[in-house]
Amino acid sequence: MERRKGANDQEGEKKKGLFVKKKALFLFFFLPLIGIVLLFFVLSTVNRSYIKTKVEDLVKEQLRSTAEILKTNISHYLSENYQADEIFELYSGEENIYYMALLDDEKNILGWKSQFEGYLPLSRKTLIEKESWVIDSPVGKIYNFFSSFTAPDNKTYHIYLGYSLVNLEEMMAYSKRNFIILFSVIAGIGIVFFLGIYRIQAYYMKKEKETEKEKREKERFREISAFTSGIAHEIKNPLNSLSLLLELLQKKSPGELRKDVTQGRTEVQKISRIIDLFSAALKPMNLQKEKFVLKDLIEDIFESLRRKGFSMSVDLQYSEDKEVILHADKGLMSQVFLNLLKNSLEATEKGAVRVHAKDHRKKVTITITDSGKGMSDEEKMHIFEPFSSHKKQGMGVGLYLAKKIIEAHQGRISFDSHIGQGTSFSIQITGG
Amino acid sequence: MKRLPLWGLALFLFFSTIFSYGQKKEHYYNVDKEVTVKGTIKEIKMEPLYKNTSPFLIIILKENKTETIFNVEISPVWFFDHDFHQGEYLVVKGSLYTSEENVQNIIAREVQFSGQTLLLRDKHGFPNWRGGKGQMTRKGKRKRDFS
Repeated sequence: MERRKGANDQEGEKKKGLFVKKKALFLFFFLPLIGIVLLFFVLSTVNRSYIKTKVEDLVKEQLRSTAEILKTNISHYLSENYQADEIFELYSGEENIYYMALLDDEKNILGWKSQFEGYLPLSRKTLIEKESWVIDSPVGKIYNFFSSFTAPDNKTYHIYLGYSLVNLEEMMAYSKRNFIILFSVIAGIGIVFFLGIYRIQAYYMKKEKETEKEKREKERFREISAFTSGIAHEIKNPLNSLSLLLELLQKKSPGELRKDVTQGRTEVQKISRIIDLFSAALKPMNLQKEKFVLKDLIEDIFESLRRKGFSMSVDLQYSEDKEVILHADKGLMSQVFLNLLKNSLEATEKGAVRVHAKDHRKKVTITITDSGKGMSDEEKMHIFEPFSSHKKQGMGVGLYLAKKIIEAHQGRISFDSHIGQGTSFSIQITGG
Repeated sequence: MKRLPLWGLALFLFFSTIFSYGQKKEHYYNVDKEVTVKGTIKEIKMEPLYKNTSPFLIIILKENKTETIFNVEISPVWFFDHDFHQGEYLVVKGSLYTSEENVQNIIAREVQFSGQTLLLRDKHGFPNWRGGKGQMTRKGKRKRDFS
């Protein structure tokens, strides 16, 4: 119980460590992205603000100049005894001038004109404070300008103008829209780019961890293999001696003991077989590759199984799209197919076990399908584990060995099984 | 509200286009002269007030306390759907000016009647019926008020 708790704690710590690393990795990629986006935002905002101020200043300067020209013109018309209303009529085509007014030296309105009914936002309170100011209106911002001038008759007049800043606003809105689009595009590309790099990095880190774990497991397995092989070897010698002794005893023992001695010898031979299988399972693969025709190998195995009485009520069938040649260890591959076919035949009471092979660009896929009882979820979970047989007879190393052999050939083995519908094993291996 | 017959309105519009309007010196929304007047409607008229615009609704309002008569300039008649009628109580907020004939005139910015408020101009006197960014919710009112 304590040990389990300790193991859980250790796993928790490990997970926590992994999470921290992941978080650090994420921040490592995410923070620069935020930094770049923020930097772009700040620079763009400062830049836009600067340009806006400059453009506004330019526009105001231009409007001031226009007002100066207007003042000169009005002064000229006044000297020719034009009335204020008559002068404003001359400027009726100026769309950008929303309103204008002429005031005397005491700031009494002499005449005015507006594009909007009764709209002349002139307040004496404002006049005291400044020469120009901007007001908001439903038709956009309006630049207000109030300035005095002296006419040729030496009288002082004031002119009040309201210019439309719609063009400036449109330009600013256009600039803002472009900024938002550009910012969104850069942020979007940045996010995709950094997330892509982050995911690639995370993938390689995960792979590295898996490789490291696999390496450690292989090392451990090698140590255990060496240790257990040694034990198996040490057991095998006394067992052989014991078997010989029992054989001698069997010959010399009286009739009433012979049956027991024979049984004892059978059991010793059984132990010997188990040790042989065990040793075979642990022995490192030493592949003797050669080219051979798959169909010939499968047909030989079919024949062998038929001879052993495996295929009494089940039909064995082989098919292929074209002739398949393998470049592999024929003996080991024979063991793989024999194990798989034996399993299929044992699981199938009647029907057929089909082997189909196809070769696509030197990638050979061999499928062994039976119409047997299928496997439960529990069986599926432990199918390739050694010594985990659900059959009455058998050691449970057949599929373990099959997987080991296929993987030694850089191939893959997988399966698909449904209760009551049968099982299908699929082997992918390089062709010859 | 007394409704004009259709031929009367057509005649009125015809004359409104041929007469010249000439903007009087003080006839603008003077933000420095804002007043609030409460009174009852004495008479309702439609008059051409500005060049190239449709006739305006003019309400002759009698202030309740002082019994002063004000000519209240509301807006073009198409801008709202309320039927004003004689004797109706109104609260008018707007800019006051006195004409050369010594008539008290108010350019209305806001009119309250029967628990409703009609927003006619913004705080600078910009007429709400002249477009802009706001959209009409109901006649005489806009979603966005710049005042």
